[in-house]
Amino acid sequence: MSARQMKLGLFLWATGHHIAAWRHPDAHVTAGIDIDHYIALARTAEAAKFDMVFCEDAAGLREANVQIASQTSRSIGFEPISLLSALAAQTERIGLVSTASTSYNEPYALARMFASLDNLSGGRAGWNLVTSASPIEAANFGATGLRPHADRYERAREFAAVITGLWHRKAAGYDGESFSVRDPLDIPPSPQGAPVMVQAGASDDGKDLAARTADVVFSAAQTFEDAKAFYDDLKGRLAAYGRRPDDVKIMPGVAPMVAATKAEAQAKYDALQELIPDDVGVALLSSYLSISDLGRYPIDGPLPELPESEGMKSRQALVIEQARRDGLTIRELARYFAGARGHWRVVGTAEQIADELQARFEGGAADGFNVMPSWFPGELDAFAALVVPELQRRGLFRKDYEGRTLREHLGLKRPV
Amino acid sequence: MGVLANRQGTQQQRNIQEPCGKRWLAGKWQLGGPLGPVALRKGGPRLVARTAADFRGSRMGRIMHLAVSLDIASATGQTSLTFAEIDGFVRKAEAAGVDMVVISDSGPNGEPSTSPFEATTLIAALATATEKIGLVASASTLAHQPYTLARRFASLDIISHGRTGWNVTTAQNPREAANFSRPEGFSDDDFRRRAREFINIVRLLWISWEHDALLFDKASGRFHDPDKMHLANFTGEFFSVRGPLNVARSPQDRPLLVMSGLAETEFDFASRRADLVLLDKREPSDARAACDEIKRRAYDAGRDPMTIRVLTVADARPERDGGILEALCRSSGCDGIVLAVQPRAAALEDFVERLLPELKRHGFAETQPGKTLRDRLGLGEDGRP
Repeated sequence: MSARQMKLGLFLWATGHHIAAWRHPDAHVTAGIDIDHYIALARTAEAAKFDMVFCEDAAGLREANVQIASQTSRSIGFEPISLLSALAAQTERIGLVSTASTSYNEPYALARMFASLDNLSGGRAGWNLVTSASPIEAANFGATGLRPHADRYERAREFAAVITGLWHRKAAGYDGESFSVRDPLDIPPSPQGAPVMVQAGASDDGKDLAARTADVVFSAAQTFEDAKAFYDDLKGRLAAYGRRPDDVKIMPGVAPMVAATKAEAQAKYDALQELIPDDVGVALLSSYLSISDLGRYPIDGPLPELPESEGMKSRQALVIEQARRDGLTIRELARYFAGARGHWRVVGTAEQIADELQARFEGGAADGFNVMPSWFPGELDAFAALVVPELQRRGLFRKDYEGRTLREHLGLKRPV
Repeated sequence: MGVLANRQGTQQQRNIQEPCGKRWLAGKWQLGGPLGPVALRKGGPRLVARTAADFRGSRMGRIMHLAVSLDIASATGQTSLTFAEIDGFVRKAEAAGVDMVVISDSGPNGEPSTSPFEATTLIAALATATEKIGLVASASTLAHQPYTLARRFASLDIISHGRTGWNVTTAQNPREAANFSRPEGFSDDDFRRRAREFINIVRLLWISWEHDALLFDKASGRFHDPDKMHLANFTGEFFSVRGPLNVARSPQDRPLLVMSGLAETEFDFASRRADLVLLDKREPSDARAACDEIKRRAYDAGRDPMTIRVLTVADARPERDGGILEALCRSSGCDGIVLAVQPRAAALEDFVERLLPELKRHGFAETQPGKTLRDRLGLGEDGRP
């Protein structure tokens, strides 16, 4: 097929992306301690010809309030590089992308880990660079406070330069501001040359770093206009670094809920929303806004005025804009965001979901999508069984893998 | 009897006799016999026999454990082992009853590897392809942070259903620091103190969650019991780590802590913390002296010496046969041997085809396969603080 086709990633997340996913009657509640669960999900995605599975990560609890945390399934899970290394042995073709922090790793060590994953999988590895915005994580690494946003990105830029230098076999010996490395990487390149570089930061610093270094960018956009604006902005930055628009694939997150009829899909979604305890929804919203005390405002009142945070600048702006636009109360906003964590939610039939994806893909707002099933395994199974065949029928998605490596799936050049 | 010991009902099945019952009392482990708790005192619990031989148990008829160590780093110019070759080797070793494979990925003097793999990611991949054999990986205290490494091994332990161990040394690899943004390196003493602190943090993080902390109660909305999740709140000379670990309690409680490359100055620390010590002694008499010393010190520290295993390292060279290795094992007084196999396809084949059957004839690899690596070694769960 010569026409441009969309890329699909499966965003793995324990019991599912919905905050109450684990309470769904059919959700696999022990996901966080069951490797077979992940093997099954990866194989489902591989059978559906997804480009990759993707693991998000944090080196610490997600939620500071222990009572809130205990009502979610997110306090425990697998360390993702170990998880994906296990999946490498149990899959054949699908890409394996893991998040790792530039704040709490050394480039030489991380270069080795990902190079090894890349070799174990025959050239299917990718690294999602994050700078780690959470003070909870910082406390596990001797830091008394979070570094300022700009400092984290300065370190991340240096980290990315060092790790790609190691992977691309550039001259050995580096001595810089945050890092020094004496030897060349002692692990040979995989069939795809080097792991794929992924990023998700949507702040100005984040987009700039992505334009310099990323092969794939994950984003969060509620509306077509937001998605298009982000897409054009990022692609527009590439020329400054001597890169072409096609060198970077932009894949916004999408949280689909599919059923035979729109009403059925909506009913499934509503049932899941009912399982969110109010205190959990508000706490989750607080954490996305990087403030700790949203709970002291009336739950049925509007979102208060908020200072700009050092944590997630871009995501905060997104949340606030959404609330103001829709005139939502804190409770409504909390529930709305709990469902898809600020990502784009589409509820409907396979045709309706395919229409939405097609519109963004063909409208120049996405090169593909990072699919975020509400709960596992059910909503992944539904997407694979209903939406993927519809996309294939329209010629928008592959019927079989064209290549063997993640770079080949994504149509990316092999690094020189 | 403590809840921890009885949790899986395995205590009765173990072939080791604990000199005293252990119980969790007043926030720490207490030793106590059938007549009740006794205070933990310097000099250890009261036992009648206190000579070194008593810590070794009866010489004849004793299980000789068999581990294989594989340093996948091969010199430049040599062909590196592929995953299929390593995987095939480990499966054959498993089928023959080998207790564990210990994988490392940097040469003895820190020479660069040419292997395509790093040890911890490699054992993750091997974990899903095997069922019984223990999988131990070396990992450096310089390359990683304690929180990260604790997560990795806890995850590997869950992935392998309780068959993982971390091989750690407190000796500094002279070439390593320069690749981890420490061009000035550490003094040997600083490095050792830092490594000990690192190990203590990892062990603490591994027991962040109590066994029954996860409730999975969909109806009530309680995923876990927050009172059974514990912060580490560790502040030391080199690290401070708040915790808790964001990985669940692993099947072995703690992955096996394996220590190797020990200087004599580290015997005290190892005798308190290690589950398994790999002794790199040339002479069996030296190995015997070191083994006795480690177990004696464990006893002096109030620990049951039967909860620590000591293996002596031997090369799987072509001239070695089963009889020589059995004699070496018996005269070393250790709990078994670790055979170092060269990372070449021919060496792996020689080991599997020639040496392994001989070793079995001479009484190695007769362990009753347990569910976890600790079970295989006759070690209990490790809830020690």
